[in-house]
Amino acid sequence: MRSKAVEIKNFTKKFGGFTAVDNLTLDIYEGEIFGLLGPNGSGKTTTLLTIATVYKPSGGDIYVFGHSVTREDYEVRKLVGIAFQDPKAMWIDKPIDLLKWHARVVGYSGEEAKRVVREVMELLGLWEHRNKQFYQLSGGTRKKVELAKVLIQKPRVAILDEPTAQVDVLSKHALWDVIKKLRDEGTTVILATNDMFEAERVCERIGIIYKGRLRALGTISELKDSIPSGDVIEVQYEASSLPGELLRELEVYGKVKHESNRITIYVEKGEEKVVDIVDLFKKRGVRIKKIMVKEPTLDDVFTYITGAKLRGEE
Amino acid sequence: MLRTLLVIASWDLIKLKNQKVFIAMRWAWFTVQILVFARAISYIVSHSVTQYTGGVDYYHFYILGVYTTLLYSASIARGYMIADEFDDGIVEYHLALPVKRNILAVGRVIGSSISTIIFTFPMMIIVYMVLGVRDILAILVSLVSALVFSMGVVSFVIMIVFTVKSTDLTDIIVGAIDALLVRLSTVFYPLPVIMATGIAPYYIAALANPISHMADFLRILLFPEYYLVVQHGLWASLVYLIGFSMGLLILAIEYYEKKLEAGGWR
Repeated sequence: MRSKAVEIKNFTKKFGGFTAVDNLTLDIYEGEIFGLLGPNGSGKTTTLLTIATVYKPSGGDIYVFGHSVTREDYEVRKLVGIAFQDPKAMWIDKPIDLLKWHARVVGYSGEEAKRVVREVMELLGLWEHRNKQFYQLSGGTRKKVELAKVLIQKPRVAILDEPTAQVDVLSKHALWDVIKKLRDEGTTVILATNDMFEAERVCERIGIIYKGRLRALGTISELKDSIPSGDVIEVQYEASSLPGELLRELEVYGKVKHESNRITIYVEKGEEKVVDIVDLFKKRGVRIKKIMVKEPTLDDVFTYITGAKLRGEE
Repeated sequence: MLRTLLVIASWDLIKLKNQKVFIAMRWAWFTVQILVFARAISYIVSHSVTQYTGGVDYYHFYILGVYTTLLYSASIARGYMIADEFDDGIVEYHLALPVKRNILAVGRVIGSSISTIIFTFPMMIIVYMVLGVRDILAILVSLVSALVFSMGVVSFVIMIVFTVKSTDLTDIIVGAIDALLVRLSTVFYPLPVIMATGIAPYYIAALANPISHMADFLRILLFPEYYLVVQHGLWASLVYLIGFSMGLLILAIEYYEKKLEAGGWR
């Protein structure tokens, strides 16, 4: 049985009257890359910052290798490293200074700090930017500086909060490899993202969090299988509205999600149903602009479970 | 623990390295103030205040006051930098580091204070050259006392920053306190002159003011005859300064541990 790296038990976090995370319970196992998937404002960052002991739980507790974040915060901090969503630096700071300081704080001697900082900066393609001031760096480069802190630290639990946001596509692939290598070297990785492709590509298990609550948990295939009907038919139509009768008729085939001029139907054996569905639209005089049958993606899983889209919803 | 403390303290020294132009400008202006404007103001007032300064040159009195004001405002500026870091979320980064909170707080206060001393050291040298101070022990004691004073001021600003949790509000509050503290002190006006105004609250405020004690401590340290002017002894000011700084440092640690601990700052 795999040992638990992080154990979240009935964790609740409130800011005044606002509940950011509500009674979250989940385990993250040692040596896995665990994805926390959800839109902005879903409670991902609050959860991660609490694991990193920046926040204190309002209710429940979180244990990192058995150490409580509320009672043994210093012990927890010795095990956890975090790459923040927003890079933490002042505009005048230089990456080389920041990373050397970070290396010293996490325990390297002066010479070791120089060596490891150079290694990590070269690995991430940051060495050429080492003496630029932070305001001169692109958003993606700033994110890499943030990730570099974790790679220097090599903690037992690495928390990466949207590590590839603002990073160009080529660099993204390289960073995903770096994250996997970090895991291969023994670090448990918790990766928060609202990028379903990143989650599918990198994570072994995923927790879907929405409006502060855990909505689903499992491997990617388990989550996709959680859509009972198996296929997704997506229809874009040209009319400004859809007749109520048509909606009711479509619901016979499976669960229906309707937004602006697009309708998503979760069906079994989609290729067999698609002809009938086209006929229904014709019968009701609604012109179809585009129709497709597809395997469900994580985005579909998210939409199915929460009724919301991953991106664009706060 | 000591190693971690020193590494944390070095955070502020790194920042200082990136402000060379600003620092050079401040040094230049300070030199002009000491060599030109201080002479002008001393010429104007020296005859009228001699009766209150026991015959001590007002120019000496004034430039030690100017240095103390600079020490105070440089310490406040370090506090502003911490406020800016607060706005930029760097406090979250520091709170997530594998460091005990009290070490973090003390490290930041010491680092900010050492940065202040490094920043103001060339100005101190100019002042001591003008005053003709050659006593190495006195110079070292004045440096240590300046460090202690700066630690108190930085601790004070940290408390304000983490209480109001807003850079703008910090600017307003610290600006108001700054205006009052400098004016209600003995940096420019000798205590007997303040007493002569007959305004009791002004006199009491000046007597209780940490900036007065810092300036007067330096005056007595370098010119023992100033004892007559400041009306309290070297040790009294030293004890006051240590009490002021240690008290505020303890409160700053408390703020880091309780106000900031795990999200309390939000």
